[in-house]
Amino acid sequence: MTGGISKRIYRIQFALLSPEEVRKMSQVKVITADTYDDDGYPIERGLMDLHMGVIEPGLKCATCGGKVDECPGHFGHIELAMPVVHVGFIKELKTLLDSTCKSCGRIKLTEDEMKTYKGRFSQLSFATSDPEIIGLNSKKATDEASQRMVCPHCGTQQNKIILDKPTTFREEGIKVTPKEIRERMERIPDSDLMFFGLNAEVARPEWMVLTVLAVPPINVRPSITLETGERSEDDLTHKLVDIIRISQRLRESRDNGSPQLIIEDLWDLLQFHVTTYFDNQTAGIPPARHRSGRALKTLVQRLKGKEGRFRSNLSGKRVNFSARTVISPEPFLSVNEVGVPEKAARELTVPVTVNIFNLEHVRELVKLGPEPRNEFGKYVAGVNYIIRPDGRRIKITTQNAEENSKRIEVGWVVERQLAEGDIVLFNRQPSLHRMSMMGHTVRILDGQTFRFNLAVCTPYNADFDGDEMNLHILQKEEARAEARIIMKVQEQIMSPRFGGPIIGGIHDHITAMFLLTHGNPLYPEDVTVHMLSYLDVDHMPEVELVGGKKFYRGRNIFSLLLPEGLNLRFTSKLCSGSKEKCAYEDDPLDKEVYIVNGKMIHGTIDEAAIGSFSGIIIDKIFRKYGSAAAAKFIDRMTRLGVAFLSSRGFSTGISDYDIPDNAITRIEEISTQAIERTNKLIETYRAGQLQPAPGRSVEDTLEIEILSTTGVVRDESGKIASTYLGLTNPSVIMARSGARAKMLNISEVAGMVGQQSVRGGRLNRGYYGRTLPHFKTEDIGAMARGFVKSSYKAGLNPIEYFMHSIGGREGLVDIAVRTSRSGYMQRRLINAFEDLKVDEELRVRDTIGAVIQFKYGEDGVDPTRSDKGDTVDVDYLAFNLEQEVE
Amino acid sequence: MSTIIFKDTKKNLEALKKKGTYRYAVDSDVPIDTKLAYVTADKKQFIYRIIISSVEPYTESTELLEKKKTDLKSVLAVERVDSIDPIPLSEFRKSKKRLKEFSDFETVELPTIKMVEKATYVDTLSPGITEIMAIASAKKLELSVSVAEKLAHYKEKLSPENFSKLLDRIGVDLDTKKIDPHEAVGIIAAQSIGEPGTQMTMRTFHFAGVREMNVTLGLPRLIEIVDARRIPSTPSMTVYLKPEFEESEEVVMNVVKELENTTILDVADIITDITEMTLTIKPENNKMKERLVNNSDLLDALAKMKGITVLSDKESKEIIVKPQQESFKRLYQVQEQLKVQTIKGIPGIKRAIARIDQATSKWILYTQGSNLKEVLEIDEIDANRTYTNDIIEIAQVLGIEAARNSIFNEALRTLSEQGLEVDQRHLMLVADMMTFGGSVRAVGRQGISGRKSSVLARAAFEITTKHLLRAGLLGEVDPLTGVAENIIVGQPITLGTGAVNLVYRLNKK
Repeated sequence: MTGGISKRIYRIQFALLSPEEVRKMSQVKVITADTYDDDGYPIERGLMDLHMGVIEPGLKCATCGGKVDECPGHFGHIELAMPVVHVGFIKELKTLLDSTCKSCGRIKLTEDEMKTYKGRFSQLSFATSDPEIIGLNSKKATDEASQRMVCPHCGTQQNKIILDKPTTFREEGIKVTPKEIRERMERIPDSDLMFFGLNAEVARPEWMVLTVLAVPPINVRPSITLETGERSEDDLTHKLVDIIRISQRLRESRDNGSPQLIIEDLWDLLQFHVTTYFDNQTAGIPPARHRSGRALKTLVQRLKGKEGRFRSNLSGKRVNFSARTVISPEPFLSVNEVGVPEKAARELTVPVTVNIFNLEHVRELVKLGPEPRNEFGKYVAGVNYIIRPDGRRIKITTQNAEENSKRIEVGWVVERQLAEGDIVLFNRQPSLHRMSMMGHTVRILDGQTFRFNLAVCTPYNADFDGDEMNLHILQKEEARAEARIIMKVQEQIMSPRFGGPIIGGIHDHITAMFLLTHGNPLYPEDVTVHMLSYLDVDHMPEVELVGGKKFYRGRNIFSLLLPEGLNLRFTSKLCSGSKEKCAYEDDPLDKEVYIVNGKMIHGTIDEAAIGSFSGIIIDKIFRKYGSAAAAKFIDRMTRLGVAFLSSRGFSTGISDYDIPDNAITRIEEISTQAIERTNKLIETYRAGQLQPAPGRSVEDTLEIEILSTTGVVRDESGKIASTYLGLTNPSVIMARSGARAKMLNISEVAGMVGQQSVRGGRLNRGYYGRTLPHFKTEDIGAMARGFVKSSYKAGLNPIEYFMHSIGGREGLVDIAVRTSRSGYMQRRLINAFEDLKVDEELRVRDTIGAVIQFKYGEDGVDPTRSDKGDTVDVDYLAFNLEQEVE
Repeated sequence: MSTIIFKDTKKNLEALKKKGTYRYAVDSDVPIDTKLAYVTADKKQFIYRIIISSVEPYTESTELLEKKKTDLKSVLAVERVDSIDPIPLSEFRKSKKRLKEFSDFETVELPTIKMVEKATYVDTLSPGITEIMAIASAKKLELSVSVAEKLAHYKEKLSPENFSKLLDRIGVDLDTKKIDPHEAVGIIAAQSIGEPGTQMTMRTFHFAGVREMNVTLGLPRLIEIVDARRIPSTPSMTVYLKPEFEESEEVVMNVVKELENTTILDVADIITDITEMTLTIKPENNKMKERLVNNSDLLDALAKMKGITVLSDKESKEIIVKPQQESFKRLYQVQEQLKVQTIKGIPGIKRAIARIDQATSKWILYTQGSNLKEVLEIDEIDANRTYTNDIIEIAQVLGIEAARNSIFNEALRTLSEQGLEVDQRHLMLVADMMTFGGSVRAVGRQGISGRKSSVLARAAFEITTKHLLRAGLLGEVDPLTGVAENIIVGQPITLGTGAVNLVYRLNKK
């Protein structure tokens, strides 16, 4: 069961099945429409004939002698009483009939014309050329041939053939029977086939008219036995039963000379059944139905679409050795780890092949049985199964463990339970990028959930409101090696999307580091020691004596996380954006982060320094010291964050949004003013004095004006509110440090919610000319069109609440529409680009070898390793050089 | 010496070409000093050049090739006829703009084809940067210009010794940043563009520079770009003027007028009088002003229509139109024609708005609707900077390389407008993949995915049965080189670690 792939398929050729071939590969000619006799034994020469394979345990295949799971199944065949056309090839049959002579069977092209087309086809290979191009060429040839009404070869007058959809052909109003079509097809010489885009080596046109029908193996259409003991047959079997029945009746009618009309009716019926056997969604005919009224799932339906064979069984498969459960956070785990509940670990196994080196060790392992624990009652990996070289599996129980451990020999395989340190794949759907499936090492934990470090939420896009994730246990050494070297979380810190870290601090990490470094606060010795006890440090930071007591600086504590030799200089997020914000800082040293030789001199650590997506410190550590150092930094940062926040305490509540009464009055005032201003605008509009903006109607202009008025008011109220909410306010700390939310959200809570909108405009739908019956029809004032002057804290009045819900619904609809649309776009992108790869010369090439780019990305640089897209970060290199020279 | 242009049939010219030196009778009075003639067959492009040794009046003779049977006036003594690369009519009309019609014969000045010296990029670089690049290349370091530009600052700041050290470090840095061979760059690009798609807004419209104009942005626009949609949902152009006109409001307004496609209904009311069987056009003053149209423009537009009598009232400025044939049917027809009669402008340009850039106080024009080809023909326009967001149109007018760049630019703009960071290399790959075949191909079943070499990969994507059935008829061979088909048959894929094999050679001892 181990060992690599011994054979590789290098190519697959497609072809049409000829009747002879169908008969040749058939193991049995099916003649009875019945399946099982009264004893439940398959009827000979019936649809469940044992020659076509077995699905019942105990029986043996009559062809290969194999039992269930051993026999791959074998084909049978049905001889159709009369030929019928194959639905899939109707279009081809039509062009063949149109373009060939009805008497001599040659294509209706003159020798000269044939020569020119031949020239074109000789440059193409049917097997490998683009089918589109072959199609285009053959269309040209057949179009020309079908125009000609007299055969250039034998001079026979031709008739127009009409396709009566889906499967009937008429010539001059008279039906052309499939038999006749077949005869005409037989007359077409091999040499003319190329003009139709047919490869004479693999396809003859008469094979598109069926005389024999291949019956698929029983494994393809297994019958199921219900609890009642009743047998239920597969849809395909049902269809085949119909075909055999009608075929038999048709044969009998024909042989005893029934009237032509009856024969024709039966023939049509046979055609219908064969058509629906292939495709039960053929346009123009009603789908064949099951007794219950459900449409049957026949061959085409089995293959097609998302639930079809290709997309759901061949391109993706269900797997063993996997687990799924709810996720929860665990800051004390490394980003590289995942906490696995014991229950899951006992079920999931890793195969260990026994060899002379590990024989003793494995025997000891098996001796432990399936549920071993150490002296503290903690989980120890046991063994669930052992597999003999002949493939037999032996279940290990506490009773037989000892005995089985002795039986183990070299070459056996032992399925060992999951142990700490095993590498596994962890995944959250939708898997939109490669960071949606990463390698983690296992930690066995109590409880029922998977757990991981919060910094890894970003790449998985996970939260803990009930999200579930999947775990896959790797079964091969190659896979484990690749997972460790390529897929491990620390190797995925850098996103290939933008060349920066995607794994980094979120929410509380940022808040904690912000509070620790902003203004460089002092912490007494006991607090510092408590915090450092969460980390693995061996020395205390620089001490400062204040009033005879030992104190430690926040920035110095943070510096403990940084590797030695790190030099960095950047502006913190606190200051990015407006200059206004920047000036608002008391200490200019707070804005500029300055790190020399792994020691933070000044600045504030916030989102720009350690956040996911932006974190400059993580980015530089990764580049200079490698993935392990970056992972270590994130791990320790998480721990320090927890330590800091649990000793300091951090929380926010509704009272944090309290603003003085005069501010409230002020906000009320400006909102009243805004409403008045709106009314004035409406008055001007009503009076017909509103100047329209160029290119806009007066109505549009009015709306734009009102929208900007209400927008301004919201901003202003936010400004008023935020003057009373300083950096001591937890919400403001979170917003300014980039941990969570924006200042806008705070102003919505404390100041005013503002104008609600749908599709970028004010709310206007609902009743005739008004949003709600509470307003007059002509009222287009602020309140009637969804202006919310209250704040979330003060609470919305019923009308405002309703308006707010309208705006909120748009967001929900938007998300629903967006996910499906972007999902399809991504599927198309992946499908179009999946085969591209970089070759040894850094060119980008596709499967045929066509060059898409001569140097990948014009500079041959991996976006993952680029400096946020730049080829090199000259400033950083120069800065480092300067520091080192000094 | 004069040059003439005229229209003739290809047949005539080919006959003349075969004869070589010959005499050709034409139906117009050709100036005697004519030495050159350009001939068009389709009234648009000139594809033949005739070198004439002399011109004489027409006299009947057998040694003549005649353009027509009758009305012959001059005889050209033809020295040689050449087939030339097509020259558009506009090349012969320097003074007056876009003339589409061309009468049979005209005397013109020789087209002056400006020869622009091909500037190499390096020449435009300052000597400092060339020097840096020279130093770098001495160290066998290939620097891109953008990196060299950044280095210029340090060249002065650092000692030559340290600067050399810096270059060494850049070299090491570049080496470590090289992409790994066999990397699945396509999948990475697709994921990098697809993943942020979930974060984009669906809100279709957004103001783009001008408050009056809406442009599709966000996810719908991105889908539109990868779909290579024939006509984008909001085609629009940004039109720049040549530097000398950029600050002149007068020129700008004239260009606006020339761009905007204005119909009569846009500026006037049309009233139908059934008793009198007349149509009255009542111009609306403010609309006329807004659209920069005056009464004579209106009359000019009406003059182009056939089968009507136009009466203009100078006082009230009303125009009365009367169909020459008196019937209600005709009246109705004329009314409908009037509604859509173009007064001026370029087809496809619904609106044009001029905005002054506050920073530079230069005018920029934004249009709703796009017609790159005709806009570029306007003299005052700076063709180098004028831009449209219609990718297919760019491909048609400026070629596939331009289309490639516009796919890249449009996608980049759409993503960055939403505040999403996506590495440019991914977008380049998408743009290159869509255009490397010489035409713009969509990402999807009609485009790239539909032309894959693997039957199984195509069947797995969309329209499964069609591909399988056709594969049977053609006897197609699936080479199993791609990703999807190898997954289907259960083999390792050919990218990344699957593309290489390791061979362990046992030591013989």
